[in-house]
Amino acid sequence: MRTPVAVVIAGKDLRQRFRDRSALVLGFAAPLAIAALMSLAFRGTEQFHFTAGVVNNDHGQMASAFGQVITSKEVKSVMATRSYDTEASARAALKHRSVSAVFVVPSGFSQSAAGAHPESIRVLTSIDLQLAGQVADSIAQSFVTQVNADRLSVATAVTAGASSGRIAELAASASTLRPPLDIVSRPSGSHSLKVISYYAPGMGIFFLLFAIGFTARGYFVERRNGTLERMSAAARPGQIILGKSLAVLVYGSASLGTMALVTSLLFGADWGGPLLATAVGIPMVLSVVALTALVIVLARSERQAEGMASIVTFGLALMGGNFVFLSTAPPLLRKLALFTPNGWALRAYLDLATGPHRWSTIALPVVAMLSFALAVSAITAILLRRSEVSLS
Amino acid sequence: MTAATIARVTLRRLARDRTSLFFMIILPVVVIVVVGASVGGFSRFKVAVVNEDSGRLGAGIVSALRHSTAIDLHVFSTADAARTSVRRAETTLAVIIPRTTSADLQSGHPGKVVVLGDRTSSSFEGAFTAVSAAVSNQSARLQAAGFAAQQVGGTVDDHLGEADRAAASTAALQVTTSTIDTVRQVLPEGFSYSAPTMLVLFVFINALAAGAGIIETRQLRIYERMSAAPVRRRTIIAGETLAYLSISLLQSVLIVTIGATLFGVSWGDPIAAAALIMVWALVGTGAGVLSGTLFRTPEQASSIGPALGIGLGMLGGCMWPLEIVSPLMRTVGHITPQSWAVDAWTILLSRKGNLVDLAPQLGVLALFAAALISLATYRLGRRLT
Repeated sequence: MRTPVAVVIAGKDLRQRFRDRSALVLGFAAPLAIAALMSLAFRGTEQFHFTAGVVNNDHGQMASAFGQVITSKEVKSVMATRSYDTEASARAALKHRSVSAVFVVPSGFSQSAAGAHPESIRVLTSIDLQLAGQVADSIAQSFVTQVNADRLSVATAVTAGASSGRIAELAASASTLRPPLDIVSRPSGSHSLKVISYYAPGMGIFFLLFAIGFTARGYFVERRNGTLERMSAAARPGQIILGKSLAVLVYGSASLGTMALVTSLLFGADWGGPLLATAVGIPMVLSVVALTALVIVLARSERQAEGMASIVTFGLALMGGNFVFLSTAPPLLRKLALFTPNGWALRAYLDLATGPHRWSTIALPVVAMLSFALAVSAITAILLRRSEVSLS
Repeated sequence: MTAATIARVTLRRLARDRTSLFFMIILPVVVIVVVGASVGGFSRFKVAVVNEDSGRLGAGIVSALRHSTAIDLHVFSTADAARTSVRRAETTLAVIIPRTTSADLQSGHPGKVVVLGDRTSSSFEGAFTAVSAAVSNQSARLQAAGFAAQQVGGTVDDHLGEADRAAASTAALQVTTSTIDTVRQVLPEGFSYSAPTMLVLFVFINALAAGAGIIETRQLRIYERMSAAPVRRRTIIAGETLAYLSISLLQSVLIVTIGATLFGVSWGDPIAAAALIMVWALVGTGAGVLSGTLFRTPEQASSIGPALGIGLGMLGGCMWPLEIVSPLMRTVGHITPQSWAVDAWTILLSRKGNLVDLAPQLGVLALFAAALISLATYRLGRRLT
């Protein structure tokens, strides 16, 4: 049985590709190196936890109650504390980032708490550590709100018409009150996203897009060298394009597959399992194949092909979210990403990494990518029919 | 004079190449926009809220969350949409105010606020603390109104206004928060982060990719033809170096101008900024000429070069601030010249530094530039023989 012409052309292209060092670097080494770099960069930084300095100048009952709150089990999961004798030493620690915020309980705090002019708890923060400062402020606010609630209850009752002669009775009654709002924490049903689970597919797809450039460029090099002319004697232009597309499909699948395998095994990236990851990867590679064919048909020279491919590659990578984590980007950028096949692929991998590994999770992204590939292929086919004479 | 002519020819060739122009002008601007829009909002927790309660009390809780300085609130209409935003890490957690909250509170039962999230996620506990503080503030107000209703009659709703008035007039314990420093140690967020870091990233990447020009010149045997004329080897090297320096400087000036005019970036002390741009352009020049002698084909330079540049940029703090990575990676990052350049921009833009303040960083970068240019000159000289 004779091997189809397209397969022969694909085989030749693949042999050439795997002999070329830059294709190997871009398809395999670079995405793996960058994913490894990202994994190392963010290792150990996935938990928000900080240490706050505490300066207790009061040592009274109220200060002790505050001390219990900031060292409670609930608070420990987000903040540890370190005591300082003086405000100056705590400030110095904050300046040198040994601590990320400082609580200062002023002298006379407990005594003044019930009076008309209560002292304030002071929270010191740094301009570069705003999040820790906000959390420290929230913890202190929660404490004073609880303390103030009883006093506010009495004052409100008096404002509403209760006799001011009953203040002692009202205060006793208010002290037995329970906060009327309960905060109930429940799991969201998803697992948190690891940085590597986003950037491994992100980098894999970004470097996969480079295949558009060197395949299209290779086509024009062959045309210049006369290889294409010799091929044209035995194959139709459609068969040549099909053969080259097949080579991109195999190369792209191998590149993305290697990336998925290595980052899953070495760095614990979650691609959603082999079947679902492949189901997302194949339409993505098909989109790259379609784009490669389009660039070949549109370009008139090696230079033009290179230029178009670069613009397509970097344009798609930027819009689709391969460079930046789109979840932190404004909604408009997230919407724009859905105009690109890589944006849909990344959405699918993100959903697989954080949600259930179900076919329904990836159905819409797969349909969107296939539609993109089909639309681009249809445009390429129309353009190819028009330019068939010049190709042959 | 001859060196200047060689540089002019190289630049003219580059100006005719539309792909290079795309990489030099359009791509950096687009990246500045995308990265600038995405690198930000780190000083507040993104919280989703769904208010299923149609009463005033539910609205009060939403208002309390909105007024918290620690929370960036995103309102969703369904719990499913809020849950999806948490799953995709668009928000840290979701606050669901159930349909019966107002009714429960009015009837004297405790109301419930449900917080959905993953307790193991990076910032859940911090966001939860911020939400608790905002809700407990509201809770105190409701407690006071409920207590008044118990004492004098009426409903919780009836006494909320009185609780607010009492809160304003009653001496209460306070928390005062102050910032001990006014000068940042890291680059500000948004475009003031993305413009200088992208300048560092793209000057280097484009120089590496432009190394393809030297390889093409070598392949076309133009250097050999030049050598046939009375042109010395060092003149050719000087010409190429001058061309790469001009490319790097041109791109830097372009990004500075676009950053200042389109994105309102203030580039700090002009003399110090000019010195930094110059030294960084020299680093780019060395890297570019070296790339032209290290890679075998133009394709290798224009494809592997950017990949290498992106990797070094990531290590050096161009893609994310080095303050958010582990201390080990921060140290490793300082092997790259990019990290020293980003540090210098930080001193310049955040701490309003001058030439003297930048001296250590400029010194290190000058050493990088000298090493790269020396190596590039040596290798190009050998290629010309």
